[in-house]
Amino acid sequence: MSLTRRDVLMAACVGSAALASAFPSLGSARAQDDAAQDNTMDLIERLTGQTPTFSDRLHLVMPAVFPTGYTVPMDLDIDSPMTADDHVRRIRVFAPQNPLIEVANFNFFPERSIARVSTRIRLAEPQYVVAVAEMSDGTLLMTKTFVDVATNGCI
Amino acid sequence: MTTVAPRVLLPSAATKGEIFKVKSIINHQMETGFRHDAQGGVIPRKIIHKFVCRYGGAEVFSVDLHEAISANPFIEFYLRATESGRLEFIWEEDNGGVYRLEHELTVA
Repeated sequence: MSLTRRDVLMAACVGSAALASAFPSLGSARAQDDAAQDNTMDLIERLTGQTPTFSDRLHLVMPAVFPTGYTVPMDLDIDSPMTADDHVRRIRVFAPQNPLIEVANFNFFPERSIARVSTRIRLAEPQYVVAVAEMSDGTLLMTKTFVDVATNGCI
Repeated sequence: MTTVAPRVLLPSAATKGEIFKVKSIINHQMETGFRHDAQGGVIPRKIIHKFVCRYGGAEVFSVDLHEAISANPFIEFYLRATESGRLEFIWEEDNGGVYRLEHELTVA
């Protein structure tokens, strides 16, 4: 039931031939991250049936470099009036290079909570952490941030 | 085995309409199911998988936690003070364990 990285990679194998031709220098870590990023967009599309759009309204604030992967701080917030007509329903966070890619799902309620939360997460390796916000009108906003952790916090 | 004891930190009074911060933490190993013991066997997964905050009986904030949340899950969030009442904080664990805290809030 949990989304494992294997599920994501198996789905990526379908498009791996196309990716290999598009990225001749697949040795670089960032190119692999881009490939993983494409998988994340595909994954979010398959999970939700919608294409998310990158938005700078959604802020995923994490340290760019952190000495341990066991407890990496994560601040998440989005500008939203949080009224019944215009609010954030929930924000989901993914770490595509973790063995299980789902990190958390935060549910917010109009007029009762504001769309801002902080927590600490485990990361297996340096990667882009991705946040996807589902708005009350059904649109998906997403953002990502790269976190370079020195140790594997997932074992 | 240490006792699992959640803690919350939030004001006991607020003005109506004010946004206040709630800090919550629970000392829990959040065993991911990926670790092995000295004999090589897998230590089974056991995590807090849900955190719910109710204010005056209505759910106002909740989190579905997965294995990637760090041990001793710390969650800081923000609520709007609507009326005086009770806030309940509920942590649900795999295998049915439930931990609760209550807090009275006075709203002027």
